[in-house]
Amino acid sequence: MNAEQPLLRRWTRHEYARLIDESFLDEDEPIELLDGLLLLKEPQTSPHRTAVLLVATALERAFGEGWFVQTQSPITLGDRSEPEPDVCVVRGSPRDYVDAHPTRPALVVEVAQSGLRLARGRKAAAYARARIADYWIVNLVDRVLEAHREPARPGPARRHWGYAAVETLGPDATITPLAAPSAAIRVADLLP
Amino acid sequence: MQLMASYETRTRRFSRAEYERLIDLGVFQPGEPIELIGGELMVAEPQGVAHYTAIVKTAKALEAAFGPGWHARTQGPIGLDDDSEPEPDIAVVPGSPEDYSRAHPSRPVLTVEVSESSLAIDRHHKGSLYARAGLPDYWILNLVDRVLEVCREPAADSTAPFGWRYIHHEVFDASAGVTPLAAPGSSIAVSRLLP
Repeated sequence: MNAEQPLLRRWTRHEYARLIDESFLDEDEPIELLDGLLLLKEPQTSPHRTAVLLVATALERAFGEGWFVQTQSPITLGDRSEPEPDVCVVRGSPRDYVDAHPTRPALVVEVAQSGLRLARGRKAAAYARARIADYWIVNLVDRVLEAHREPARPGPARRHWGYAAVETLGPDATITPLAAPSAAIRVADLLP
Repeated sequence: MQLMASYETRTRRFSRAEYERLIDLGVFQPGEPIELIGGELMVAEPQGVAHYTAIVKTAKALEAAFGPGWHARTQGPIGLDDDSEPEPDIAVVPGSPEDYSRAHPSRPVLTVEVSESSLAIDRHHKGSLYARAGLPDYWILNLVDRVLEVCREPAADSTAPFGWRYIHHEVFDASAGVTPLAAPGSSIAVSRLLP
């Protein structure tokens, strides 16, 4: 090993919980634990917040009974990740998760503007590694939806975990969530 | 080389006061090799046999060169600035260990890093941090090439990771002698530092 850059210390989920319990971190501090790193979240601009609300509304309608939609709330992915995706769709009802955060959302959505690189990079890697089957990025820079599917492990073709199938959809396209096969959502309805 | 800017993502920074609170809370594992560098919690270089030997030899040589009234701390914390608490391999400070029982020293007269796999970091990243803090005499004991690199004269440089760097950089091989800025009457053979 000949490091060119200092290595950041990685935090476990347990340690992260302690930082919150000890009031070291404020519960409302805009950070999330991803792959052991305490990442600062993208600032909530008005278009960002609008997109989050639009996506949540569209997904509630598309999934219907037996599912619920949570916004900017934690999910648990392994020992070193507790991200707070902008929107995710979880099976069951909120009371099912009174003792532990959801671990396997059927769909995760991030709204990204300044955080686009992060959403496509580290976050995609963490979600793919957790075998999240359906990961969407509402790309506010290009006003498109990126659907990331087919989690793929690192190998000769890729250095990190990632998604083998990435489709970019313009406002006129429609998309069907993998876990709600009879629904069709217009991309335009997700964009602010 | 802009090390800071090459980070893909922004992580939560810690102040030195927060870092010391984390230590008091017992959040870290005992003996965990971490340092606070410019607000970031860095994992220090794993220590090999040669690395450790070099630290012991260098500390002994420096204590002999500086004499009474000084002591060489090994891998002890330095309260460098508001968001940095590095643990350099050796730091020569005035006084005795008891003088620092309430607060870490902040201005070593000589700071040494023993470098094997972390040369680039010690030169650019830590060099810039130490230059920003105004540390006058910074040595890198380069075990790869078996030389001593002496860095002096901190100066502002916006391209450096922390906005400062040492403009004087001199390399001494094993046969050379070196004189610390704060011990002008002494001369230390570089071979006495190398493992």
